[in-house]
Amino acid sequence: MTTAHAEGAAGNLPHEPEKATLEGRNKVLAFWLFLGGESVLFGTLFATFLALRNQTNEGPSANELFHLPLVAAATFLLLVSSLTSVFAIQAMHRGKVAVLRNWLLVTVFLGLCFLVLEIYEFSVYVRHEEFGMTTSAFSSAFYTLVGFHGAHVAFGILWISVLIGQLARKGLTVVTAPKIYVSAMYWHFIDVVWVFIFTVVYLLGKVG
Amino acid sequence: MATEQHPASNGPVKHRHRQEGPQRHIVVFVFSVVLTLIAFAAVAAGGVNATFAVILLLVMAVLQVFLQMGFWMHLKDKGHLLPIIFMLGGFFIAGTCIVMALYWVWWD
Repeated sequence: MTTAHAEGAAGNLPHEPEKATLEGRNKVLAFWLFLGGESVLFGTLFATFLALRNQTNEGPSANELFHLPLVAAATFLLLVSSLTSVFAIQAMHRGKVAVLRNWLLVTVFLGLCFLVLEIYEFSVYVRHEEFGMTTSAFSSAFYTLVGFHGAHVAFGILWISVLIGQLARKGLTVVTAPKIYVSAMYWHFIDVVWVFIFTVVYLLGKVG
Repeated sequence: MATEQHPASNGPVKHRHRQEGPQRHIVVFVFSVVLTLIAFAAVAAGGVNATFAVILLLVMAVLQVFLQMGFWMHLKDKGHLLPIIFMLGGFFIAGTCIVMALYWVWWD
């Protein structure tokens, strides 16, 4: 077993600092198990939504409600933020802490933009379309599924922001690197879930 | 296990030999954008047969998810058997829930 010690200077870090210690490797593996569990969680929410998507209770239907340009903008924001978190990890593998921090900041910023767009979207539905949480089975299922995803984005923003602070205080070490790597995995997973949401909820809602 | 090589002791210059560039990730990004655009265009254009649209949209989504999980989450790299098992297990249960819910609703 090669054992890497926590080293302050980025230049002395191994190539993949997130996998340099057993603890780091365990963290990554356990996070995959968590993502498997998250898939089940979102799977049940998708199942509920698909079962109830036509139960509009004389409220607005998906086709009347959704505006594709807004959804396309949100999709693009999240897709780009997933790419910037790839760049962050690549910078981490090169040991470039400042570049890593900047890409994380861009990722957080894009996530915030996505969240603002989603809050705006929900507020328009509630105030102008009379489409609230209790309007219909469709509305409850919609807000639960899309809102849960939005909550994940909000948590991701908070998490990565805290890690940016920790990076500034402790630097890039074999202790902080797995945390950053795992948060990037989480962020990719959020984007993957959104791919299914814009397809199943919005686009299929438009098709009927 | 001792054969595992880390360039740590050789100084920062040697770090580059295993370094992957951003090119392939940008290619994945471009493919994702194209798949997304195809899906949105098919719906925005309208007049597409509904059954065909559903199949097209789902294929575009699955392709994009495969690309992103394979390259951005590194599932295609070696040493990822357990993560793949975890994710397939999650997807299997999720898929069972979805099939169950649709069967339940459509049966009446």
